[in-house]
Amino acid sequence: MISDITIGQYYKENSVVHRLDPRNKIILTVIIIAMIFCCKNFLALALVAAVIIVSILFSKVPMKMFFKSLKSIIPIILFTAILNLFYVSGGKEWSFWILKISEKGIYTAVFMAFRIILLIVASSILTYTTVPTMLTDAIEKLLSPLKVFKISVHSLAMMMTLALRFIPTLIEEIERITNAQKARGADFENGSLIDRVKSLIPVLVPLFVSSFKRAYDLAFAMSCRCYTGGDGRTRMKQMKFGIKDIGALAFYAVSFTAVILLNKYFGALI
Amino acid sequence: MSVTVLETKNLTHVYSKGTTSQVDAIRDVSVKIEQGELVGIIGHTGSGKSTLIQHFNGLLKCTSGTVLLEGKDIWQNKKNIRDVRFKVGICFQYPEYQLFEETVYKDIAYGPKNMKLSDEEIDRRVRQVISFVGLDESYLEKSPFDLSGGEKRRVAIAGVMAMEPSVLILDEPCAGLDPKGRETVLSLITSYREKTGSTVLVVSHSMEDISKIATKVLVMNNSELAYYDTVDGVFTHSSELYDMGLNVPQLTMLFLKLREKGYDVPVNVYTLDKAKAELEKLLKGGSDE
Ligand SMILES: Nc1ncnc2c1ncn2[C@@H]1O[C@H](COP(=O)(O)OP(=O)(O)OP(=O)(O)O)[C@@H](O)[C@H]1O
Ligand SMILES: [Mg+2]
Repeated sequence: MISDITIGQYYKENSVVHRLDPRNKIILTVIIIAMIFCCKNFLALALVAAVIIVSILFSKVPMKMFFKSLKSIIPIILFTAILNLFYVSGGKEWSFWILKISEKGIYTAVFMAFRIILLIVASSILTYTTVPTMLTDAIEKLLSPLKVFKISVHSLAMMMTLALRFIPTLIEEIERITNAQKARGADFENGSLIDRVKSLIPVLVPLFVSSFKRAYDLAFAMSCRCYTGGDGRTRMKQMKFGIKDIGALAFYAVSFTAVILLNKYFGALI
Repeated sequence: MSVTVLETKNLTHVYSKGTTSQVDAIRDVSVKIEQGELVGIIGHTGSGKSTLIQHFNGLLKCTSGTVLLEGKDIWQNKKNIRDVRFKVGICFQYPEYQLFEETVYKDIAYGPKNMKLSDEEIDRRVRQVISFVGLDESYLEKSPFDLSGGEKRRVAIAGVMAMEPSVLILDEPCAGLDPKGRETVLSLITSYREKTGSTVLVVSHSMEDISKIATKVLVMNNSELAYYDTVDGVFTHSSELYDMGLNVPQLTMLFLKLREKGYDVPVNVYTLDKAKAELEKLLKGGSDE
């Protein structure tokens, strides 16, 4: 089912991580992603994993939620790992039939797989602990310096908020129209590729029509409530950068330094 | 004499089974629907009406139980589920949102085309159903998006009728229409049944509408089948229907109130003629005292 998508879902809980300033959470996520990419050996990667696990424990989001979001990308992880396994050479080599596996290939494959898993888990922490609207507000704040270049950051953020808001509505709508066309004998499962693409038209046309209508209605409703864009708009919930934010930032900064030191003293694997 | 077309045995459907948001949408529904009936399906919001009808053409697969169409389990052969959908036509709530073709003609022809019928047969059916729904042939070349809401609704209904299903199911065909629109839709449903002799199931919130057109009434309450009986039979339970949150016709309401006040009147009154007769009887009886 399409409605099983878990990446980007909010997990309700009242933890320290949930209460962090969303701007800070975005910055922290960027830092941890940078950390993951800086790792050059398994020790450094293990340290980053530890930092992520500590963050998860603080967030009180159950581990199984993260396994759920990993499940959907298992094919990508496997694909990357297998490619690395066969294409990287160096060290001892074993060959059977036409395939050749090297020692370095095995290390790289495992390393890459871990890297992707950590990337997904790290970004899931952000989306599990932050409501989408807060996230877009934070992005708006963080990008506000771009106003200097005459970029309307507010409009971009508003578009993102609306898009996120309407994803469940669209999924529901797709299901409804699909059912209606199936009742008229539409066949989405059989036939050649061209047939299947063609069979989507009866779903896509009504979907576009109603989406445009919804967009007009929404724009009209917004202007009725005097929405005129971002200028002079204030917020009901102000974002506050507090002590816990500084603490989290410091924790990540120390870990980052440690990663760099580990890289330096234990050599580079890749 | 009467032949059963559709039958359900202990039908149960659970949405999102095994999660925290698990809902029993229908529970243990067993019902036999006879050939040629016009069945009104009523029940409060969320009582499971839409869920029930989606089992009849295999859009939903029941958690437990069976659905028999003309005596055969519809899930017996998974590959034949499309044939089931041609035999049992469902027109969903607000069907105007499913129109997609450039012309009304093409849109109505979509179902028959999926049935792989010949062009002449499709043409015959399109012209027949457009008159069934009370629109003239000049509509066939128009774009469905240029029609009024009520006209769109009728075109969408025609699109399902064109498959000539032996069972036609309509989910709240009158939702959001004005009184005149409701009347038109109701009368086109009854005349369709008279002309084709097919079985028709109509989901509705309005007892008043149902009492006007139906031969049988199926009442759903809290995911369970409450009654399945003739209109007269179901109306003998008027006060229970009222307690289920259904809007019984105002005439019936009047008789319920009279009964509450201690008058000896029947409660299965829903037509003006019967009401008049009963009231006259009551007044005569009253003048004797
Ligand atoms: N796709 C779904 N996923 C989960 N629960 C659902 C789904 N569809 C319906 N339900 C639930 O199943 C129950 C029955 O819904 P159903 O749509 O069958 O009611 P209904 O009688 O048709 O109501 P209405 O008169 O409002 O159309 C409701 O409690 C509803 O919340
Ligand atoms: Mg419904």
